[in-house]
Amino acid sequence: MSALVFYSLSAVVLISALGVVLLKNTLHSALLLGLCLAGVAGVFASLGADFLFSSQLLIYVGGIAVLLLFVVMLSGRSSELKLRQVNDQWLAALLICAVTFLGMRRYIFEAGTAVLTASPQPTTAALGKLLLGEYAVPFEAVSLILIAALVGAVVFSKARERKP
Amino acid sequence: MTLAHYLALSAALFLIGLFGALTRRNIIGILMGIELMFNAANINLAAFNRFLHPEGIVGSAVALFVIAVAAAEIVVGLALVLAIYRSQNTVYAEDISLLKG
Repeated sequence: MSALVFYSLSAVVLISALGVVLLKNTLHSALLLGLCLAGVAGVFASLGADFLFSSQLLIYVGGIAVLLLFVVMLSGRSSELKLRQVNDQWLAALLICAVTFLGMRRYIFEAGTAVLTASPQPTTAALGKLLLGEYAVPFEAVSLILIAALVGAVVFSKARERKP
Repeated sequence: MTLAHYLALSAALFLIGLFGALTRRNIIGILMGIELMFNAANINLAAFNRFLHPEGIVGSAVALFVIAVAAAEIVVGLALVLAIYRSQNTVYAEDISLLKG
């Protein structure tokens, strides 16, 4: 049963990720990115990380994917649908990916012996205690980063006034 | 399912995202590739937490921080894309060559 769940979620995640990377139409890429992020949320659920699952759905699928869709629709022209979307360096990029895979392969197969021992526990209450106790300082730092990003986004997207 | 299955899934997702970030011409496409790489890292964190420290939750906490920082990054990045599009009228990375003078 868990194998069926894992392989179907993997198929959804990987096929939609390939679509994100390879499709010509950026709008289709953005829609498939939403599907891929939802699949990753499913992977989190299969790993027993319930709070991570819900925040992935809320922040990534509900926030980031929608924001990307808005920007894609605001910044494109219909003539771009016929343009090539992959640059000239795709062969070099493929080589870089192959080399990176060779580096990671050893660790993947070394880690293969670990198996599940316990059934998953709900994590939300413990996460709240951790974030407001031991991890309070990084938590506040992240809220500072979010405020800075908010202000930065407003500053960058403000229409520039011409000097008289 | 062993840990290696999840690591292989996350490695594949990371490589797809890396390929997209390196080859897309559109800045929005590059940002999407970066998002895929963030998600691969988060799968790794959740998988290590579940398999190696099933009684702990620090992996989930770190993944939450990654999600928050990725959200901040994508917001600023998209605001920059819109600002560039307004002033340069393009979203293609090779056309943005103002620093060449």
